[in-house]
Amino acid sequence: MHKQNFLAALQDALYGLPQSDINQSVEYYSEIIDDQIEDGIREEEAVASLGSPDAVAKQILLDIALPKLVKAKVRPSHTLHAWEILLLVLGAPVWASLLLAAAAVLFSLYITIWAVIVSLYAVELSFGLGALFGLVQGGIFMGTGNIPAGVFYMGAAIACFGLAILLFFGFNKATAGLIAVSRRFVLWIKSLFLKRRKAQ
Amino acid sequence: MDMQLKRGLLDVCVLAAIKKEDSYGYKIIKDIKPYVEISESTLYPILRRLENASQLTVHSAEHAGRLRKYYHITPAGLERIAAFREEWKEILSIYQFVTREENENA
Repeated sequence: MHKQNFLAALQDALYGLPQSDINQSVEYYSEIIDDQIEDGIREEEAVASLGSPDAVAKQILLDIALPKLVKAKVRPSHTLHAWEILLLVLGAPVWASLLLAAAAVLFSLYITIWAVIVSLYAVELSFGLGALFGLVQGGIFMGTGNIPAGVFYMGAAIACFGLAILLFFGFNKATAGLIAVSRRFVLWIKSLFLKRRKAQ
Repeated sequence: MDMQLKRGLLDVCVLAAIKKEDSYGYKIIKDIKPYVEISESTLYPILRRLENASQLTVHSAEHAGRLRKYYHITPAGLERIAAFREEWKEILSIYQFVTREENENA
């Protein structure tokens, strides 16, 4: 791929972002390619070393704050006519509540992911506490001569402890996965904003 | 390496690369690459983040008939490097503690 094709594809993939952000990205990659060519690397190789324009664009999007993206999207593409403003105002009870509902749904999905993480560690904590109390209670029973109850509590404590250890590793893996999911979720919301703009 | 940790470390690497003299994107990558894996698309957000944090400033200068962006470190950037050197002492002592445990077990 040639430099101009790469930069044009990158510009397309970033469509919907503030123009200044697009220009800055394109200037950066244009300069990098020029410097690579000056360093004796063939143009096609220099472009190929950067990865696909879509992958590059995705990385740029991931680093842009969501509020900035929303603001760029919300800004109208042309100045509004009086009748458009009138319609917007009259329709506010409908579109504002729908928009709010959509935002609330997305937000609650995001919260849900984190709630699962919190609950995983709550389970972990309860097993840990269960083991601790079982040990103490078992010790008390042993001390007062109630050996069967003591053995039972001790056994339960050891089982809790074992589960806590085993689950800890599983939960850590699950948490890492869930965090990755939540990151991808934010990226998905961002791409939603960009694609809708492009379709207009 | 842990993503969050590497992000912070790369910030400091980029600042160190422009500490002595102003530098530009491609040269920063070439200077850092022998030490840490860094790509063009990783450097871009770092430069923007450091600029937003006023740890570096950007100015364009002509080079071979085109404009090239040069990055200049600010006092805040120098402070960041100094802070990293302080933190590193702590990390180093943690490392020594961790490997000492391992050596005893071996």
